[in-house]
Amino acid sequence: MMDIATFKNDVWGREVLLGVSWDLLWVILIAAFLFVAVHALYMAARKKDRSPSADGPRVSRHSGVDRIFHWVMAGSVFVLLITGIFPIIGIEFNWLTIHWIAGIVLTVVILFHIVRALFWKQLKSMWFSGRDLKEPFDSSIKPGKYSVAQKAMHLGVTVLTLAVIASGLVLFAMIDTPWWDRTNALEESTLGWMFFLHGLSTLLLVGMICLHIYFGVRPEKLFYLRSMIKGWVSKDELEANHDASRWSPDESG
Amino acid sequence: MASFDVMPDMQLYQPAELDDALELADRHGKQGWLLGGGQDTYGWLKDRAKNPQAMIDLNGIEALKGVRETGDGVEIGAATTLRDIIRNPLLNDQFSLLTAAAGRVASPQIRNVGTLGGNLVQDTRCWYYRRGLSCYRAGGNLCYADSPQGMNREHSLFEASRCVAVSPSDTATAMVALDATMVIQSVNGERTVSAAKFFVGPATHITQMTSLETGEILTAIRLPKKWAGKHFYFEKVADRDVWDFALVSIAVAMDLSDGAIQDSRFVCGGVAAVPYRLRGVENAARGKSLGPDSGDTLAALATKGAEPLNYNHFKMPLMENLVRRAMRG
Repeated sequence: MMDIATFKNDVWGREVLLGVSWDLLWVILIAAFLFVAVHALYMAARKKDRSPSADGPRVSRHSGVDRIFHWVMAGSVFVLLITGIFPIIGIEFNWLTIHWIAGIVLTVVILFHIVRALFWKQLKSMWFSGRDLKEPFDSSIKPGKYSVAQKAMHLGVTVLTLAVIASGLVLFAMIDTPWWDRTNALEESTLGWMFFLHGLSTLLLVGMICLHIYFGVRPEKLFYLRSMIKGWVSKDELEANHDASRWSPDESG
Repeated sequence: MASFDVMPDMQLYQPAELDDALELADRHGKQGWLLGGGQDTYGWLKDRAKNPQAMIDLNGIEALKGVRETGDGVEIGAATTLRDIIRNPLLNDQFSLLTAAAGRVASPQIRNVGTLGGNLVQDTRCWYYRRGLSCYRAGGNLCYADSPQGMNREHSLFEASRCVAVSPSDTATAMVALDATMVIQSVNGERTVSAAKFFVGPATHITQMTSLETGEILTAIRLPKKWAGKHFYFEKVADRDVWDFALVSIAVAMDLSDGAIQDSRFVCGGVAAVPYRLRGVENAARGKSLGPDSGDTLAALATKGAEPLNYNHFKMPLMENLVRRAMRG
């Protein structure tokens, strides 16, 4: 049976946690692939809804600042995944410096986003309401700015990103940087927990990112990707997918 | 840690042809162990710190032995013993840097059976790692030698990345100084790689000392004519004069013209996970003559960028003095 964690003997011969079992990477990738395949087949077999037009009046969905945040975060996450996972699966290169620099970029943009979301954005638009829970089961209920699936994705990415950043910052203190010398002073068991948390949250993020990309490029969701690039959706797309009474965007987009 | 007088149970293969050895190496993959002179191997196996299932003894393959003159220099079979290298007239005449380095490996008994290939690809001697602890190099997430309590007198000054182990090979420094080319074969064919790229540091390959991949065999080492018969210097400093690993060693190849250095390669052993080139010294040496003044100038550059650990600061003056001594002429 596959393990979630790996263990080792410490210098005194006691068993301590080493980190996550990276065999889980293949489990997550296969599970994500199966989900995507089944969902794609289901959607192909389903009766097609009317495709809203991208023409006509436009409304703003994502401001320029939000789009820059999204793509900087996406870029840093991809660099972190490549530099973190490739050496583990046998593609070795000098990864550590690139990894922690990308980690700092991610941390800074996440802090920026948290502050901005708390004080300058409508935090409520990303939070769950009782009505959201009925949304998947009642096609007459349309979401506000974000669907329940988008909110769930955001919540999952938030929790996992904060976990990977928190554990990453502890591990960051264990290596040489321009600002401090490595100390290697952490207890082996504590270090093991940090590696476990870092690895597990990374693996779960891989799964979530697979789904995020899949839904981002699905034909009926492609206008969301466009809005994350260009900032706007058409009024027809808004009315077909959202409840205008719960989301009233600027029509200046 | 338990140590055993007997070898662990494993399958022994003694191929007589290189193709058979390559096929065996490919078939057994990570569970296979290539055996040269066995001077690195037997410690691992008796301590049960490594537990391969198959041993592929390369000593019966004649194609891996001997020193051959080629159009562009010399080719040495990887299974050639260090004793044969030390006694080879061609190498003594043209590449005495290598024979000097080989002559300082361990003891006469070990040189009688130890091979050049084995000396080059041997694993690090970090005692935490050799003890079988799950350190970074063994796939763990901690360097015991680099912890506040760690004993790191023998460890690295340069280019540590999590792991602070050093290359223990005496001949590796000479190979880098002589700009050797390593010939590597596998069932997929042959590839060559410069000595400088053959040895790899922890930033890239934390669990390996060389770029040899599973299933590959180092079959030969080629020394280019460029450095044949040039001015060489090798010196090794160790706690004991016999049967000990270098605290610091230096291998230097210089191309002198009218007493001035036209080109040079200064390589130190025992200070990094790879043979460490002193590029600052090499650049500053161009145009200089041998002598104490040049030695003092260059010595000051030898340890630039060094990051000593808790117990190995003493390696820095050792390095500087070895550069000084190499420049005495």
